[in-house]
Amino acid sequence: MESHALGWVAVVLYLGAEAYAIVSLVRPRVPALPGYLLVGAGLALQFADLEARARALHSVPYRTIGGSLSLFGWMLGLSYLALLFRHRERAVGPFLIPFVIVFSVLGLLLPQPGLVARADTRGPLFALHVTFAILAYAAFTFSFVLSVLYLIQKRQLRRVHTGLLFARLPALDVIGRMNRTSVSIGLSVLGVSVVLGSIWAERVWSRLPDAKFGSAILTLVVYGFLLWKDRRGWGGERVALLSILGFAMIIFSYTFVNLYLSTQHVFR
Amino acid sequence: MSISQEARLALLGWSFRGAGVSVRERVAFTADEVREALTDLLKRGVISEGVIVSTCHRSEIYSFASGESSRDGLTRYLSEWRGLDQAELEGSCFHRVGGDAARHLFRVAAGLDSLALGESEVLGQVRQALSLARESGSTRAVMHRLFESAVAAGKRVRAETEIARHPLSVSSIGFELAMKVFGDLSQRRVLVIGAGETGSLFARHAVEAGVLGPVIVNRTDSRAQELASSVNGRAVAWERLSTEVPQADVVVSATSSPEPLVTRAQVESAMRERRGRPMLFLDLAVPRDIAPDVAEVYNVFSYSIDDLEEVANENRARRAKEVPVAEKIVEEELEEYLAWLGNLSVVPTVTQWRRRMEELRDLELERAPAAERERLRGLLDAFSARILHEPMRRLKGESDPARKLDRVEAVRHLFDLDRE
Repeated sequence: MESHALGWVAVVLYLGAEAYAIVSLVRPRVPALPGYLLVGAGLALQFADLEARARALHSVPYRTIGGSLSLFGWMLGLSYLALLFRHRERAVGPFLIPFVIVFSVLGLLLPQPGLVARADTRGPLFALHVTFAILAYAAFTFSFVLSVLYLIQKRQLRRVHTGLLFARLPALDVIGRMNRTSVSIGLSVLGVSVVLGSIWAERVWSRLPDAKFGSAILTLVVYGFLLWKDRRGWGGERVALLSILGFAMIIFSYTFVNLYLSTQHVFR
Repeated sequence: MSISQEARLALLGWSFRGAGVSVRERVAFTADEVREALTDLLKRGVISEGVIVSTCHRSEIYSFASGESSRDGLTRYLSEWRGLDQAELEGSCFHRVGGDAARHLFRVAAGLDSLALGESEVLGQVRQALSLARESGSTRAVMHRLFESAVAAGKRVRAETEIARHPLSVSSIGFELAMKVFGDLSQRRVLVIGAGETGSLFARHAVEAGVLGPVIVNRTDSRAQELASSVNGRAVAWERLSTEVPQADVVVSATSSPEPLVTRAQVESAMRERRGRPMLFLDLAVPRDIAPDVAEVYNVFSYSIDDLEEVANENRARRAKEVPVAEKIVEEELEEYLAWLGNLSVVPTVTQWRRRMEELRDLELERAPAAERERLRGLLDAFSARILHEPMRRLKGESDPARKLDRVEAVRHLFDLDRE
């Protein structure tokens, strides 16, 4: 079993980033740079760890569920960093970074079979399919976090609770727009992943479709419906609730479907 | 001789805490009057340095002057200038000296002595007071540093505590809620129903919050027109109220209508027209202008005057919680200022000055041959005694305390004595 020392150091840095994000939430005038640096350094080290895994497998590092979850955490961290640079919106950090930590830790703890990659899992088509799928899941996780924050902020507005969290969380409109962006990105990327995966599967698998394929299509339908209703004036709260439902489906797909229903997406 | 023996920092003031508005309005100063008063007080020798802070809640004269004379001199001057009874002025004023005077100013700048705890305007007023005093030539080292330090304390308190962050006025709270729903308000449409005092206040606050051209509706068109022109808004006829509501993101209502002006059915219809985009109602009227069940409509936020008052009370309590931290900051800044002021005494400065000359002498002697050192030491001591004699005599002999401190500060700066 590999040690994944770099991966663990990355987790420690994420823990530091989370602590700093909480401090920033309470005292918003503390400088943002240390938070950027902690997440950035964590991402760099986790990337190095993923690369080491890839070299060991002679394939993409996420053929195993551990590697896959590690990449999930890494992409979520990358999305958070992008959000920090784009919106300077630090209030989401304390709620999002724990997901980065949880996925990264699971990625390090779950069994990593030292199998050499099958020939059919080599090549750009498979790599892009999996990368896009994980990127989509990261975007939907982001959407989930934003949706929870939306509901919290809306509840505070309804009950006229104007405490610390009310002051720090972004406006409903801002959270709603960020959520829409996340879902749009997730939906597009998952669509591309499904197409690429279908092409790849047609070449290498004898039996189609796989349960995972059905789960991905259902995810596309739920999030597509969400975006459609959002544009037709459903507004924030119902969109947020649907996004939470979508995320529950993803977790189900990632765990139960992958482990017990899918015959082809082998993460065992 | 220390500065406390020859002159001292003093404060004579009338504030809302001890003086009623009937007194405060008579001791209030306009900017021109501040300049005039400071120039007169300097000319008459009542003060060596002085700054006047005059706001609607306080008139405070900070002075640096000899002994006890300044209090009496200041009240006499004011009673003559304003034609007021000196005994009445004395009876309603408060007086602080030394560190207590400085502490009071620091607390004022920090908003800790304000009627609305932590309010920010007072910091600008303290800055403005210093600026007027500079124009009048009534500030030197002591007052300049005192006010700069007070402003620094005020800034620190606002940066390091939450004391100024929770709004207290219902209009600020209303627009804070609106901003938490819509984010940037510059692209949002605000409809103000009622052009009375409250409506006008909210219309102005809307503009301050970034709203471009609020729409004003009032039963009397002329008042709507008047308010609209003062806020670069648009007046709309009362009959068009129902067509304006669906177009507004934020509706502020403050009329004396006995019946609700906006009903749930109207809002539901408006929401269909708006395709579900959120709406926010701020109802400042009693009885209410917005029907209470409007708040139950999906994506509609509705707040009554009681809701806003409740937030104001909570915010007051939140600000009060920050007071101990703010007081600590004030004490830290005060300590620094008083240490600086203490260093401005003549005796320690002269002692340090001599010591510095001895250090320089010793540095030079180290480079000289050992056999020559004793002879050179005597020579250098005699030389430095001659060099220092006249400046020290003049420094000690200066009769004007403010000028004396200016000189002490110059010596400390030129010879880098504060490094010690």
